[in-house]
Amino acid sequence: MQPHLKRAFTLLALVIIAFILVRSVLVPESFGQYGWYRGDSVDEIRNLNVNYAGSTSCGEEDCHKIIYSVWVKDRHKTVNCETCHGPAEKHVLNAREPLEKADESREYCGKCHFKGIARPEEFPQVDPETHGEDLRCVYCHNPHKPWFV
Amino acid sequence: MDISRREFTKIGCKIIIGATAGTTIVESLITNSIAAENSPVKGGYNWEEHFWGYVVDTRKCIGCGRCANACKLENHVPFDEEVYRTWIERYRVKKTSLETREEEVVIDSPDGGIEGFVDDIPAEEIKKAFFVPKICNHCDNPPCVQVCPVGATYTTKDGVVLVDYEYCIGCRYCIQGCPYGARYFNTEKGTADKCTWCYHRITKGLLPACVQACPTGARKFGDMLDKDSEVNKIIDEERINLLKPDLGTKPKVFYIGLDREVK
Repeated sequence: MQPHLKRAFTLLALVIIAFILVRSVLVPESFGQYGWYRGDSVDEIRNLNVNYAGSTSCGEEDCHKIIYSVWVKDRHKTVNCETCHGPAEKHVLNAREPLEKADESREYCGKCHFKGIARPEEFPQVDPETHGEDLRCVYCHNPHKPWFV
Repeated sequence: MDISRREFTKIGCKIIIGATAGTTIVESLITNSIAAENSPVKGGYNWEEHFWGYVVDTRKCIGCGRCANACKLENHVPFDEEVYRTWIERYRVKKTSLETREEEVVIDSPDGGIEGFVDDIPAEEIKKAFFVPKICNHCDNPPCVQVCPVGATYTTKDGVVLVDYEYCIGCRYCIQGCPYGARYFNTEKGTADKCTWCYHRITKGLLPACVQACPTGARKFGDMLDKDSEVNKIIDEERINLLKPDLGTKPKVFYIGLDREVK
């Protein structure tokens, strides 16, 4: 083989080896495990912390059994505990971790029940101007066992 | 160049054999670290046994914004920025004269609907109005995954489109690529970000935070491989629609009661 070709081939071989080396360092080990992405990332996302524990964890133990049994039979049963009381996973894991008091303001109930043009007609809504003066809704309505006229 | 037929064949064969062997060796060197392993994710959850789907019943949505609020709390989405993994849009179609037949639609989503909606157009001027919750469609043919230059976004075996926050270089190409505007740039992480259908929850047997928070059951989530799941029942029995079906993205969020104005 002619010397200039030898040099060229050696150089090419070196470039290929260097490419393979650099690539093996830069590409994470789990890349391509399941597809063209880093396989470890699936587990990283899976292992993120949960903040909303779910209503069953409130009534499961003896903790809030009475209020749970009232709520679960009534019309607000579709509204989960944490929708009003906020994320409770920390409190479930450690009962000493206090949960913030639920928002009992008129405006908070109004988020669902104040009249709105885009709301479904059959959904219970009140006109805040004419209904209940400025009293808080919970003054007359028990949010765990609401009554409807 | 003078060359006999025998010589030509010899050289030709050598070149062909060399080229084949060479590429095979290089190929195997590159892929040897990447075991062609297709095992599912560890930890009591087999992602080959599930294929998730999502149903939105727009007729039930009351626009309370509890879903968007719960999503931000669950997934640490910044509250002070106008970015959402899920949000509620309000559509108000105005009354127009019968001659023009052109509809005037007012679409808004103040703070994603978290703080509620104000009726700032008199009721007499409105023909119809409704809410439409929006979320990542976790498309079966996702344009956002196609455009990622580094493989930092992908579809899991159970059909969820995720972002690798370690690997994302923050080029924002996927945000441009999503026809539904479901992706945003997370300034805290410096990466693209999006709804994961609460992958950390659904793989533990919990519901996505938005589905759990919805007080009217307008959002449903379930396994499309389970023939008794609520989602499958709705898909089989109800009249459902998709967002921008003509794009061929094959969304996995199914809508009930979708108006023609909703894109």
